[in-house]
Amino acid sequence: MKTTADTFQAIADPSRREILMLLTKDRYSINALASNFDMSRPAVSKHVKVLYEAGLILIRDQGRERYCELKPDGFDQIKSWMAFFEQFWREKLQNLENLLNQQAKGQKLN
Amino acid sequence: MKRDLVIKWHFPHPVEKVWKCLTDPELVSQWLMKNDFQPIVGHKFNFHTKPIPKMSFDGIVYCEVLEIVPNKKLVYTWKGGPQPGVVGLDTLLTWTLTPDGDGTRMVLEHSGFKGWKNYLASIFMESGWKKGISRRLTEVLTEMK
Repeated sequence: MKTTADTFQAIADPSRREILMLLTKDRYSINALASNFDMSRPAVSKHVKVLYEAGLILIRDQGRERYCELKPDGFDQIKSWMAFFEQFWREKLQNLENLLNQQAKGQKLN
Repeated sequence: MKRDLVIKWHFPHPVEKVWKCLTDPELVSQWLMKNDFQPIVGHKFNFHTKPIPKMSFDGIVYCEVLEIVPNKKLVYTWKGGPQPGVVGLDTLLTWTLTPDGDGTRMVLEHSGFKGWKNYLASIFMESGWKKGISRRLTEVLTEMK
């Protein structure tokens, strides 16, 4: 079981936050990550390990390269928000339609 | 991944009536939520509803009017989070109305669902993040912008 401290420490470091931000765009090999930063490959590897252990990223071996990508579970939140609002807005717009119908009826009666 | 929600609706009522229901705070509260909306660009207002702890949402939606084109278009921000000062949901609402005979076509775009910040906010909140530390989280999230 991960602790909040692990995750907090994982994102508390500016380099690791930058790595995460890069990975929001695409997956990167460790070499490609290293070339984006003024850091040695071992230093990048160390950051990647911390992110991996905090459960924020996945590492996949492909040929001679190790590729990092964001762990998709992390995006469950967007999906659940969007599903929530899809339902929410449909209900609210139905309310709005009912309100407009009531207004129109009221006008005819007057 | 899709980050925008687009909902289309048709009302058998003229645009002026629909517009009034979007911009009169009393009417808005009847079909949406209690609010202190004013149709003025730059006006900051809130919606109040029930908290949804599961979604790290305390029931307050923070908004700011960005654009008003009478009877055509209304844009405001739509932000919320687990507690005041912590923004988990940072999105935008765009309401567009088009006359269609005697009726109105409405397009509601709820855009800008950014997973990353929402996600970080949620993992901290769900793991029973202590109050004193939430300030640090806010700082981290602010730096991440």
